[in-house]
Formats: sequence, C-alpha cells, structure tokens
Amino acid sequence: MAFHGFVTGTGAVSPLGRTAPEFARRLFAGETAIRPLTREERDGLQATHVARCDGFTPQPEIPPMKARRFDRGSQFAIIACAQAIAEAGYDVEQAPQQIGIALGTGSAGAGALTEFLRVLLVESPEAAPPFHFPNTVANAPASQVSIELKLLGPNVTITQKDPSALNALLYSSIALSSGRARAMLAGGVDEWNPYYALGFDRVGALRGQNRATGIVQGEGGFAVLLETRENVERRGARPLAVVSGLAMAGAPSEPYRFNPDRRAIERAVRGALEDAALSPGQIDLVLPSRNGVAEMDCAEEDVLADVFAGPPRSVSVKDAIGEMAASGGGQIVAACRAVAFRDGPLASGSRPRRVLIDSFGAGGNFLAAVVESAEAAA
Amino acid sequence: MPEGRKAINAKQQTEDLPVCRPGLRFPFHLPFYDSRFTWQNGRQMIKQRRVVVTGLGAVTSIGSNVPEFWAGLLAGRCGIGPVSLFDASPYRTQTAAEVRDIPDAFLTPAQKRRMSRADRMGLAAAAEAVEQSGLDLSRENPSRIGVVLGGGTSGLLDSEDFFFRYLHGQAARPSRVLNHMPDAITDRVAQHFGVEGIKSTITTACSSSANAMGYAHDAIAAGWADVVLTGGSDVLARLTYGGFNSLRSVDPGPCRPFDRERKGLSIGEAAGILVFEERERARRRGAPIFAEFLGYGVTSDAFHMTAPDPSGSAGGRTIQAALACSGLDAADVDYVNAHGTATPQNDSAETAAIKTALGSRAREIPVSSIKSMIGHCLCASGAIEGVATVLTLRDQLVPPTIHYENADPACDLDYVPNASREAEIDVAISNSFAFGGNSSVVVFANANR
Repeated sequence: MAFHGFVTGTGAVSPLGRTAPEFARRLFAGETAIRPLTREERDGLQATHVARCDGFTPQPEIPPMKARRFDRGSQFAIIACAQAIAEAGYDVEQAPQQIGIALGTGSAGAGALTEFLRVLLVESPEAAPPFHFPNTVANAPASQVSIELKLLGPNVTITQKDPSALNALLYSSIALSSGRARAMLAGGVDEWNPYYALGFDRVGALRGQNRATGIVQGEGGFAVLLETRENVERRGARPLAVVSGLAMAGAPSEPYRFNPDRRAIERAVRGALEDAALSPGQIDLVLPSRNGVAEMDCAEEDVLADVFAGPPRSVSVKDAIGEMAASGGGQIVAACRAVAFRDGPLASGSRPRRVLIDSFGAGGNFLAAVVESAEAAA
Repeated sequence: MPEGRKAINAKQQTEDLPVCRPGLRFPFHLPFYDSRFTWQNGRQMIKQRRVVVTGLGAVTSIGSNVPEFWAGLLAGRCGIGPVSLFDASPYRTQTAAEVRDIPDAFLTPAQKRRMSRADRMGLAAAAEAVEQSGLDLSRENPSRIGVVLGGGTSGLLDSEDFFFRYLHGQAARPSRVLNHMPDAITDRVAQHFGVEGIKSTITTACSSSANAMGYAHDAIAAGWADVVLTGGSDVLARLTYGGFNSLRSVDPGPCRPFDRERKGLSIGEAAGILVFEERERARRRGAPIFAEFLGYGVTSDAFHMTAPDPSGSAGGRTIQAALACSGLDAADVDYVNAHGTATPQNDSAETAAIKTALGSRAREIPVSSIKSMIGHCLCASGAIEGVATVLTLRDQLVPPTIHYENADPACDLDYVPNASREAEIDVAISNSFAFGGNSSVVVFANANR
C-alpha cells in the first residue's frame, strides 16, 4: 500500500456540530442539517434548502475583538485547525517550520469580496473599505490559520471544484513525502454567501422549486492533521487513521458542467484502491460523492455497483451537510473518526477498518481516497 | 509487514537503481512499497525524476507571444498605460499594464463567448507552449498529463458586470458568472487539450502560479504525472484595482521597483504557461529543453495578512528552503528575478531577505524586477516571471529594472538599472511573496548544468 500519512487529529465546524466528535456522531446517527432557507436567505432564489452553521459564534476560541478581523471562513478554519492540533497533542512551537497547511475552498473570501465590490460598484471606489480587501483572497483562511497558530511550513489553498479538499489532501501527502513538512493540516473551508448562492442558482446548479436535480449548498471548516510515520513515532502519538490510497482522474469538460464520465469515476475509485493495495471486498464503508446532481449520482452508483460485488455500507456526508468545495474535508474527518472510534455507522461494537471516499465535481474533476484504521494498515 | 509487501519491496530493490540527486531531503520515513519510490543503501528514496521545461507561452502587455515578450523585456519596453477595460476615472489612479492583443484566433466565436478574458489569455499561452514543446497531446496517454495553474481573478471582470447590473436592478445575464471560479482556466486548458491527469488550481494570491509550478514539479518528481502544463493567467478587474488603490499601494505613474522614490505597484495582467516534463522522457523524444526546474520553497510568514516581515527573515527562509530543496548553496545562485513590486515595504523587505539568504553572494549577482515593465500580474506574476527566468538562462541575458533613477540605502543591491545585460547564469531563482504571508521561491538551472 501507499502511505500518505497518519491522521492524528481531526477538527470540524460544521452544520452538524461545532466539533469533530459531534459532527461524526450526528452524521452516523443519521441526522441531517439541511433545512429550508429562511425568507431572508431565499431572497430571489428558486433554491429551497441549505445547510449552514446556524448559531455559530467564534467564541470561546477567538476573543470577540480579535474575531472581528476574521471573515466567517477564517473563523471556521482557525477553530477546526486548532481542534485538530489539540486532538493530536501537537506542539507547533517545537518545529514550526515543519508544519504547514493546505485547504481546499470554493468560496473563501466571498463575504469580504462581495461587500468590497458592493460598496465599490454602488457608492464609489474611494468608499470601498480597505480592511475588507485582504480577506477577499481565497487563501485568507489558511493564511489566518498560519498567523494564529504560528505555522511556518508550506501554506497553500486549492480551488478545484467540489473535490478541492481531497486535492488539498493530495498536496499534503506530496508535501510530506517530498520532505517539505513533517505535518500538514489538510482539509477545506467554505462560507455560504447570498450573492454566490444567487450566482449558483441563476446558472442552474442548485436544487429547488424549479429543479429536481442540483446541489444543496453547505458551509463549514474541516481539518485533519496528517503526519509522517517518523514524526508520529518520535512524538509517541497515537494515530487515528492512515491515508493509504489516493487517486485523481480528469475528464475534459466545460468548467461549470457536471460530466458524468463513468470511465473517469472508475479510474479514480479503482486507482485509490490500487494505491492502497486493497481489493474492493476489503472496504467496509463508502462515503460517496452523492450530492443531488442526478446524472453524477447515477454514474457513481453504476460504477460502485461494478467495482463492488456486494456494495458495502454507504453514508452520504453531503446529504447531511450539503455540498461545497470543503465537503471532502467533512468526508475525511468522518472517515478518520469512523475507523478510530466506536460511534461509527456499523453495527454496535464494530468499527469499519477501511473507508473509501469519493469526491467528484463539475469541470471533470474526480478524486477518491482510502482511509484505514491504524491497526488495519499495520 | 505483510509478506506480500515484503516481496514487493524486495523486487523493488533489485530494479535498476537510479542515482538520487545530491542534496535533496528525501523521506526516509516511508516504510512501504510505493511505485513512486525506490530503495538505495537500505533506504527508501524518491526515484530520480527530474523536471525540465520543454515549452513556454506568454501573453503580456509588451508582447502577445514569447519572442515579443522577451524582446520587449530586453529592450526595457514599458507596457504600463491608461486603463481601458473599465472606466478608471473614479479611482485614485488610472494606469495599468493591459494586454492589448490576445492571440486566440484558434478559438471559434462560440467558444470565445463562453470564456473569460483570463481563459482566452491562458489558452493562448498554453497553445504556444504546447506547440513549442513539440508534444502531440492527442497521441499521449492523457491520464499522465496534468494541468496545475495558479488562479485568482479568473472571470471576475464579467462577474462584476453581473453584480453591477443586479445591484442596480437591471437585467443581468447569468452566463456572466459562469467563469467566476479561479479553477475555470485549469478546466479549460485540460478540456482544450483533452488531458485527464492531475488537475489543480493554487490560489495563494500573488504567489499562486509560483506555487503551481512547485506543485507541478513535485507531482512529476513523485510520479503522479509525466507532463504538466503549469503557470497561470490573471487579468485586471475592478476588485483588485480598487483594492490596491484603497490600500494606497498603487503608483499613479509607472512603478519604480527599488527606486528611493517608489510609490507603489502598477497592476498588470498576463498569462504565462510552461510545459514541465520528466527529463528522461523529454530527452528520449528529442524535445527542446529550455531549463531544468530544480525545486522550490514554500512557506508561511505567519506575520501579517498584508505586510511583509521587514527584517527579511521570512522571505530569506523561503529562499533558503528553495535552495535546500534544490541541493544548492547560496554561492550557486547567479541571478534573482525579484518579486520587486515597488511598494516601499516589499522592496526593502525583499532586499533584506535576499541578503539574509545569500549573504555576500547577494552583492555579487544581478537582481531585477520585470514588474517595472509588465506591472504586477498578481496570480500570474510567478508564472510570467518564471518564463522570463527561463529565457534569462537560455540567452544569458538579464532583463533590466526600468524607471530606476534614485538609489535607496534600504535597497542596495545590483538591480540591473534600465538596460539589459549579458551575464553568465547557471542557476536563477524567482521570488513570489503574497497576501497572507504565502511565500514561494522557485529555482531554475541551465539544462546542461
């Protein structure tokens, strides 16, 4: 099998809870955070539902005065990453240059960007608030995490449609294996924004009263701490899980269209299994990409039926927290907790040992990953 | 370890062992078989997969292809002029380095209508780079060819039109926002060339495309791809123009990097695409090899969202990381293609960073900023400066820093003022620093080094 890193900590600020344990527990209990849009949120949309981090406040982790400096996405990211570091018992100060961050996102900076533009376009460029401008960049959350947690290692943000967070996991794996870092915070962050919702709705991406197929938008921040074996051994840390398989496949497509290319889906799924040196029968749980886009969901079901003789248990993360570029981060966190703790989705007292994650998106972007329990991978 | 895995490892050890590049920091901690790694002296190591540049493409304000761009740089031509893409009269400044001609005749009118300006520029540069590389992508295994670009404004100029009309209660065409996401260009390039390998868009503001080149290198070195189209395309938009103006970071006239009287940057737009290819493969097919991409450094300043660390220690650390990754010392560096934005803070901090990292070598080598000619092309700046750095190595000619008149005690290196010059250059680095403290430094070397 390949070794892409040990996961030693998880963090989540999600529509299903403000910590990784709460998120996983409620997810595997079958809860969903998808709810009808409020009248204010729905203004002008045909979309009807959303999954948001309702009632979220950045306290107690971030003091009120400080929190004002951060946009919503940065607050999600800072708290989720701090949770992952804390769960891993990682001492950043010991070697700050050896720990980095890679987050996937599709909407980070949206709040600052739309507010800055609104003032610029409606009032005047001179009236546009300068303090918003630095947060309009998509890398603001990852960079704010680096500043807050004093991480001096690699720092990147990746935007590549719905599987952006898995793309960030792949980047993190390569950063570890090439020796650029000993530990990487990997995951995703997204914030719901009314203007972005308007854009997605107008181009036909959202499910609603006029469209039976399409995504329900979500928001949240998710992170895992991925470490090299050497680092885990040196720290004497207890790994929660191992990322043992990763694969990416592309299919030529218009950037904004879903291309249900079964060949590409199969290449990603079989590629991840092959990378992990596993047969399909060794997978106990699948976290599918299913997000409500009918043709993509059908294609995925077809491929999984082909790959698996008897389909393993499946839990749809996006049916619980909505779709976003960060949702793959939620899948990674869920997979790690499923293999590490007994509050997972299988029969009482048993944990899945190996989990397959699918994450597919518009533009012909297909990624899959395999997460194993530390014992299964030993 | 399971028996099967032992057997695979044993098989791996008997393979023809490549010589690993000296100086690289290899991951000795990887215990299991992985096709991307091999064994040497009992240690698991990355197979030697070196990365070379086999194609270049450029669309800039001083030239819409590589020969024009390079001739413009060597002649010290300034591409900074009045803004025409939107009404700049309400802004504090009215100048930028705009692209006047996008060579996109190979696209149909229907294709162009669906694309953003950044898409068309990126595709034009990619088409030039692929043609130059001699690759016939229709005959290659598409799953081994990737696209990794730096992205930023993408279709923002069109989204702004949609947003303006919406906010003013006017009918707005939804198609105007279809290309809003920074990853649109990456998907477009993959679609146009029919490639199906690794795909990623790095969005780290002004270091985006430098980081993209680094990721492309790592992807090839680690065996995830054999060829990657990398670089970036970024265009002028009201948001970025208004944003830098709101921060009082824009010079009303053409920018003056490292000059004592510098007042800020000039915003530019450009596309720069490089074909990265695994070296042995490139040699086998007789490809033109312009340079080798030796490695890169990527770090967090963890200092401030917009201000650089004035001591230069953060930037210096990134340069040192890039050299370490490339197996080089400070003494090996022959040229620095500077970030050189012409803001008072950047240029002095960058000078300090170069001196911190290179020591006495910093005063012996040329350092120049091509932003003095093509402006700060934001997310594409690392890529277009990468193209310039490769051409510097190819022709042994250093592009100048123009508009340089007054020496600044805080910027006391050789900035190649106002005229290009010949120099012996084996190794060159290109710096990119960004909002959020996202720093990246890439290292190129002569192909025959």
